Formats: sequence, structure tokens, C-alpha cells
Amino acid sequence: MPATLFDKVWDRHVVTGDDQTALLYIDRHLVHEVTSPQAFEGLRLAGRKVRRPDLTFATPDHNVPTDNQLDIREPMSRRQVETLRSNCREFGLTLYDVGSGRQGIVHVIGPELGITLPGLTIVCGDSHTSTHGAFGALAFGIGTSEVEHVLATQTLMQGARPKSLGIEVMGRLPEGLGPKDIILAIIRRIGTGGGTGCVIEYHGSAISSLSMEGRMTICNMSIEGGARAGLIAPDETTFEYIATGERPFAPRGQALEAAIADWKTLRTEDSSQFDERVSIDASRLVPQVTWGTNPGMTVDVTARVPEPDDVPFASKEDARRALDYMGLQPGTPIMDIPVDVVFIGSCTNGRIEDLRVAARVFAGRKVAPGVRALVVPGSEAVRAQAHAEGLDRVFEAAGAEWRLSGCSMCLAMNPDKLTPGQRAASTSNRNFEGRQGPGGRTHLVSPAMAAAAAVTGRFADVRQLLDQEA
Amino acid sequence: MKAFTKERGTLALLDWSDVNTDVIIPARYLKRIERTGYGPLLFADKRYVAGGAPPVDDPVKGGALDTAFPLNQPKYEKASILVVGKNFGCGSSREHAVWAVEQAGFRVMIAPGKNEGFADIFEGNALNNGLLVVELSDDDWSKVAQAARADAPIEADVDLGTNVLKVFAADGAFSVRFDLAEGPRQKLLKGLDAIGETLQHAMAISRYEQGAPPWAARPGVSV
Ligand code: SF4
Repeated sequence: MPATLFDKVWDRHVVTGDDQTALLYIDRHLVHEVTSPQAFEGLRLAGRKVRRPDLTFATPDHNVPTDNQLDIREPMSRRQVETLRSNCREFGLTLYDVGSGRQGIVHVIGPELGITLPGLTIVCGDSHTSTHGAFGALAFGIGTSEVEHVLATQTLMQGARPKSLGIEVMGRLPEGLGPKDIILAIIRRIGTGGGTGCVIEYHGSAISSLSMEGRMTICNMSIEGGARAGLIAPDETTFEYIATGERPFAPRGQALEAAIADWKTLRTEDSSQFDERVSIDASRLVPQVTWGTNPGMTVDVTARVPEPDDVPFASKEDARRALDYMGLQPGTPIMDIPVDVVFIGSCTNGRIEDLRVAARVFAGRKVAPGVRALVVPGSEAVRAQAHAEGLDRVFEAAGAEWRLSGCSMCLAMNPDKLTPGQRAASTSNRNFEGRQGPGGRTHLVSPAMAAAAAVTGRFADVRQLLDQEA
Repeated sequence: MKAFTKERGTLALLDWSDVNTDVIIPARYLKRIERTGYGPLLFADKRYVAGGAPPVDDPVKGGALDTAFPLNQPKYEKASILVVGKNFGCGSSREHAVWAVEQAGFRVMIAPGKNEGFADIFEGNALNNGLLVVELSDDDWSKVAQAARADAPIEADVDLGTNVLKVFAADGAFSVRFDLAEGPRQKLLKGLDAIGETLQHAMAISRYEQGAPPWAARPGVSV
């Protein structure tokens, strides 16, 4: 009997194979414009078709400008988005294009549309496919050769089954902290290579009390811990999310009831079955801020920039290179570091709940002079919901830019980017060198902490801002 | 995919850990829809002097090389075996990172630590492109890295038939054994077309599809 959630989902999808190699069936394939053109080209060259167009869903997100989505002025970006359009036409795929009302970051729209469901295998040519694991789906990023393989065969050849890493998060998360603080604290603890070769299952009271949005934030960054995928067992919160709202690809009626009965069996029987285990106490966490050039280089907001020989998982030289790049002196209090740009958005923190949290901090305050703040909804649907709740007015009253949906300043493939030397507080997932633009400096934080940095002009402890309100 | 059996070439060393795919190839170059032309874009924001990285629409127009970047040392100029630090290729799934390494002339990569040398997706992408990725024990890796620190080019022999790496170090040759899972090893040795291989299981795939529950097999089913 398979014991863990991961084993159960994996075993269900083995078409043929053994312990060393398995051909896995893929239930849903998400496609975006960046990692797919060469895969479609490969199909064309070999005279192959897409095996299951009905299980394949596409949207443009990385290159789309967030001021005017319809007018991509940069020729290379425009060509890439147009290539996605023509490939979808040629191969008969469903495309959620800009202006359709359902376009957005691929990992935001999958769950919204009911494409993402428990117990499925989901892949995309994008490492943050791990996001969908929040529903108890086995979801992971693949390269372009594999994109082509899935398009042609609806399967993937996998080597030995990954190990399982159980991460328990217990306790009550303090006021002012969010799921982003949990996942940053986890990566800080296990290191950016800590999950290599593993699938992580997050469990414990601090996980089961999270909304689906919060669970997605956690699973999203599993890849930053090196893991192949992250998983959370489906429960009533999951079923409720799937059952409500406009989700054209979710089952309804009797089909949904039958599915839920099955999904309830998708859990790990006993946490002693994990190959490795880690445990974190959420009640002791403090807001997290990254100071360096990988997501493991994280400290409490109340701490100081570390000395180079004091950095876990990094050699002194690696740490020094990170300090140099970031333009930081060891010993500087994090709260003394000024920011130039604040970015709230991405597949990590571009969902409605993230915007609500940010709006709460922005309400009645102003973006500090000299700071540029961008608020970017993860999808057209998130944008519409934010409008319905009046959040856009809060952002605009505070002096933040309220933009259209896309990956935006998470990575420098569209006009939203940092200029060399600029320093950003960002709710995205990667603080790699140049990630937000060549020479740009990224500090990863939660949406609440990003908003706090926007209104104070430097990193601030959002708990203090929220105290002032009370 | 082209087969890999042996490689005789010189070593190059980039002794940094956690080198991520944004460093290997910055995102702006991912706007290209071609599968070739990535060689000059490898480490584009590191290997050229400031402002010298090639424009996105013209990859061959790079500026002068930055002599401070380790791989720009003349002794590494013709290297085809790239020795790197732990967790190489972490970050995004972009296969462009592998294309850049391979199209810059490398056929083998060597990193330290079993299951820790390469990030999972990068490793899979490499093997799908006929780029051999070898993870050595920390001790063996250190010996190879040390050899690559010599002032002159150092040759090495990588034989996937015998799983032996032989390094002709300045102070004498030595050999180390390496492992690669049998599945990927056979794939590399034979240069198999992965899709063609899988399509031999077309019957089993159809059978699987017939047995799948409706909510999985038919998105949006309501009864
Ligand atoms: S928001 Fe960022 S991490 Fe997410 S899919 Fe877009 S570029 Fe990738």
C-alpha cells in the first residue's frame, strides 16, 4: 500500500515501468509563450500532432506589458506571443489570450479555471508549476524537450521516484505575517539545495489553516528549496475552492461529488512514512527579508546583514559576491536599507488575498517620496475581483501604480524592470542577480512587508505599522 | 538526440555554488524562438565587460570579454568539460540554459555531491540534450577541480562505456569512476529519440486513458 500522498498520486499515473523508470501519464499541460516555441517547432519537423489538445491550455504571461497588454512594442516579445497564438491555432489548443477576461500568469489561471484539481499530474515548461501542488496535485516544471514530449504523447518518462520530504509547520502564525514568511523561513532552514531530488509535502496546523491562496504561495516556492514539487493534502478548504466560482474545467454536480469522495483518500497515512522530515514552529516566526542573491539568504527583518563567514549553505566567497552584488555592508540593520522600487505581484503573491493584505497596509498611507510602487494582479480575474472590492482605489490613493495582469517585474522579459543598481522589495520568488533587470537588486518579502517598505521608503517591520492602526 | 559515448577534451572550472539559470542565461534572451545561437549568450552578464552583453536580437554581437570572469582565462578557451560547484542550474526550468552550455562547446559537466551537484530540472534537460552531467563525491570532485586550477590546459577523458573519468593532471594522471542511472545512460549511449521510444507504448497510453476517472480525463465534465 502506498503510504504518502505523493506515492498515491504517482502510482495512479504509472502507464508502464518499474522502480527505476516509469512512464507517467500527464493529466494537464499548461503552456506559455517562452518555453514552448521550440517544442511546437519540434512537432512540426517530425510531423507530429498534439495528442490531447483538450488537456492542454495556453496563455501569454511573461512578455505581456502591464500598461497596455494589446500593444507589445518590443519586436522580440511580440514575435514570441504571436508565435504562441499561431501555434495554438495550428495545433487546436485553448488559448486564454489578453483581453479574454481569463488571461493571467499561467499558475494563477490554472486553479481559477478549475484546470488544477487534486490527484492530477500537472506539468508546464515553468519551474513554478509546483504552485498547483497546493491542491494535492503532483505538479512540476519541465524543460522544452519534455514540453514537446508531453504535447506528442501526454506522458513523461521519469527516472527513479523522488524521495519524500515531510515539512511540518505547526503553531499559529503571528499577526502581520503571511505564508510568504513561512516559505522563506523554510528555505532559509533547508537551503536552496535542501529539497533536491525530493518532493516536499507540507502539513501541520499552520498549513491546514491556510486558504488556497496561502497554500499556493508555499507550494510555489518549493522549487526555491530545490524540490521537484510541493504538495499539500486536499481538504474541505480545497473542495470549497473548487466548488465555488466560475471554474469551467472543474467537475460539477454528481461528478464533483464522486471526485471529492476520491480526493478524500489522497493523504499521507502516517508522517513517519516520509523519507526525511523537518519541523517548523510558525508561532515563533518574524517577518522575513532576503538580503542576498538566492532565496536561502534570508534573515528576520529585525536582524542585520550577516558577515560573510556567517552565512549558512554558502562559502565565504559566495557570500561576499552576494554582498558585493547587493551593495550591502555586513552589520547594517535590515530596517536601515532604503528601497527604490516595490513590486507586489507574481505567481507567488499576485492573487486576491495578497492584494487585500497589501491594501490594508496602503490604506490611509502614501507611497514614500522617490519610491515607485507597482501592484500587478496575477490575472484578469484577480484584477476584476480587486476592482469589485475597491482595492484599486486604495492603491491609487496611496500613489501606487495599479497595473494589468502578467509576470511583470518578476523577471525582466517585459518593460517592467529594474535599472542597474536599483533596489527592490519584491513579493516574487527569486532574488537572483539580474532577475528583475540587469544590475537590479532584489529583496524578497511578503505582500504586507512590501507595502510597508513602499510607505516607509525602507524595509520596515509591518507588525509595527499594523500596531499603529490598532 | 545525438549519442554520447566518449569525450576527450580540456577542463574548465567555475568554482561557484548555486549558479542559477538566470546567471547561466538571463531571461531577456529567452525571447528568442530558435533552438540554436545560444552559445555566445552563456553567462552573458558575467563574461562580457559591463555593457558588452550581446543585444537580444543579435547574439553574436557581444563586446569584449571580462578577464575577471573565471571561464575567460585563455587556458580554458577550448574546454569541453565544465567543472562547476554544487546545485548548478537551480532556478527556472529553461532548457535554454542547457542549450547555452552545450552550444558554447561543452559536452560534459562535473559537479560535487551525489544528488546535490545539479538541480533536478537542469539535470533532466541536460540528459535530454546529450550533455553528460556527472556528480562526483566531494573528494573526487576536489581532485578534478584542483587539476583544472593548473596554469596550462588540462586534458581529460570521459568514457560513458566504462564510467571512468581520467584526468591528465599536471602532477600525474588519475582516474575516478562515476555513476549515472542506467536509464539515462543507455539513452545517451544510443542517442535515442525519446518521443519515438514512448510512442512504442501507444497502446498502453490509450488503455490508461480509458481507465482514468472522468474528472481527470475530461475537464469540465458535469455528470
Ligand atoms: S510570475 Fe515570475 S515566477 Fe511566476 S511564472 Fe511569471 S516569471 Fe515565472
